Amino acid sequence: MKEHWSDRLQRFDRRWIFLVMGLAVVVPLFFPLGLPAKPDRMTKAAFNAVDALPEGARVFVSIDLDPASTPEIEPFFRAVILQLKRKNAKLVFATTWYQAPPLVDRYMRETIEVAIAPAGTAGYSGLNDRPYRKNVDYVNLGFRDGKGAIIQAFGSSLRLAFDNHADDGTALERIPMMRGLEKLADFDLIVLVSAGSPGAKEYVQFVGTRERLPMIAACTAVSTTDLAPYFQTGQLIGLVGGMAGSAGYETLVGKPGAGTAGADVLNIGNIVVILAIVFGNVVYFAGRYHRRQRGAS
Amino acid sequence: MKKTLPLLFGMVFGAYAVIEFYIPHHLVGSLSDELRSWAAILAAAAFIIGGINILQVTWPKIRRREPDWQYKVVLLAAAAVMLLAGLPWHKLGDTPATPTVLIEAVPGPAHLVVNAPADVTIQVGAVIAPPRPDGARYQADVGPGTVEVKLSRRVPGYRTQLAPITITDGQRVTVTGDPPMLWGREGRVFVWIYDHIFSPSNATMFALLAFFVASAAFRAFRARNLEAALLLGAAILMMLGRAPLGRAISDVFPDLAQWILDVPSNGGRRAIMMGAAIGAIATALRIILGIERSHLGSDA
Repeated sequence: MKEHWSDRLQRFDRRWIFLVMGLAVVVPLFFPLGLPAKPDRMTKAAFNAVDALPEGARVFVSIDLDPASTPEIEPFFRAVILQLKRKNAKLVFATTWYQAPPLVDRYMRETIEVAIAPAGTAGYSGLNDRPYRKNVDYVNLGFRDGKGAIIQAFGSSLRLAFDNHADDGTALERIPMMRGLEKLADFDLIVLVSAGSPGAKEYVQFVGTRERLPMIAACTAVSTTDLAPYFQTGQLIGLVGGMAGSAGYETLVGKPGAGTAGADVLNIGNIVVILAIVFGNVVYFAGRYHRRQRGAS
Repeated sequence: MKKTLPLLFGMVFGAYAVIEFYIPHHLVGSLSDELRSWAAILAAAAFIIGGINILQVTWPKIRRREPDWQYKVVLLAAAAVMLLAGLPWHKLGDTPATPTVLIEAVPGPAHLVVNAPADVTIQVGAVIAPPRPDGARYQADVGPGTVEVKLSRRVPGYRTQLAPITITDGQRVTVTGDPPMLWGREGRVFVWIYDHIFSPSNATMFALLAFFVASAAFRAFRARNLEAALLLGAAILMMLGRAPLGRAISDVFPDLAQWILDVPSNGGRRAIMMGAAIGAIATALRIILGIERSHLGSDA
């Protein structure tokens, strides 16, 4: 008996799907659709929280990510750093991820110690930023392990948690911008660049609510549903979810970058997944109908 | 004693961690800070124990040539390489922190010469000297006074050399430097391995998800019943609503996606979180009261 087309498609070689997905990821990078990446409500709230900071505000940035999550979150990081530097914010960095320190070092070299949008930057009409000087405009405290416990320690004493030294070994009392910055509650804003655990969730649970800290977070798309309840309750005052959120944030800051380029990949990639779902269900229901018909006859 | 002491520690510190939350006294705060420092030290020590544990688990399997033992050799070799690359070996030697400075009396205006290898960026004051094909050699008449010469390699992992120079008319100052390679976390070898092996491998593992999600969407995501159909519908709406394409088609998609996130998703997520939190409280109470002992080992 001749095999029904739905049965043949059930055994469809999945390498074809891999090929289509590969093309969906690669082609938009070379031929962008250029659809506007409009920010959602949570992303706008994060932007507004940074925008409302006074000139020279003191901001703590926790960079808790690994290379795997950089495509989704790094565009937000670059955009928010530009926004903070435009406000001449004093920045203090730390990380609770053991995979992160070399990434953090690279970010210091590429986004902090050089201008992200110097005068004459093509396609950018906002305020220019300037290179930041280590231990003058910014301090990198480095890495500490200890998950929730160490985050709780940041909430009571940064000096104790980091043995009173910055990552480069400079004593914190010798750094003028660290005066008055003893614990997380002394900062005007906490920015959480968080790819998982420990990260934004632990900051909310261990210190955020207890100290009533103003915190915004950026997370991967899959973590958005984990953190969205905290935005709804006001424990996070802004939330940037995944690449779509990063692209929206870049739009708000006015400097499109990797997030905006990645949003095109997201457009086509999502369409491929939706088509795969629809196609799979058509095959499934056609096969079921055919088997019923055959059974009836 | 082997069981009682850990149990006692668990009870005392567990109960203290709960109680201190409600006592805003500075003495309690100081003790809590101290305990949190202990926690950080314990977490750091856990890395060492983890290393020993990897050896204990993998070495016997390699000796017995168990299936896939070759991967375990790779694991141990990679761990050993990262350990060696991560140690600050440069501190053992006598590497020059500053460039050598030679001052000669030469008639005429103050003259500065900087010698460095071709891949070194020479910065004199605020001016970065452009690379030159003849070996990045910088040579210029300068005004009398103090100027800082900074030598840094264009790739990370090398020490930056600084030399503050005070120069007057009638002097020629020659600065010769070669920024030495660093070891340890900021060293060249560690950074190279991180940038060229760890980062691409880590990113590749995550990127493969896209392909498996697409494949699973075709093969497994079936509307077999009402619940599955609802899940499918919500997934499609979320995917359309969270991508710019959805908004380009209709403003309804982002609004619907936001509603799904705000109402059913957050409601369900909150219920799970509350349930998990109550479970965690119950487990913590069992540990504090000494009822739960599984964390002390199988024989406890």
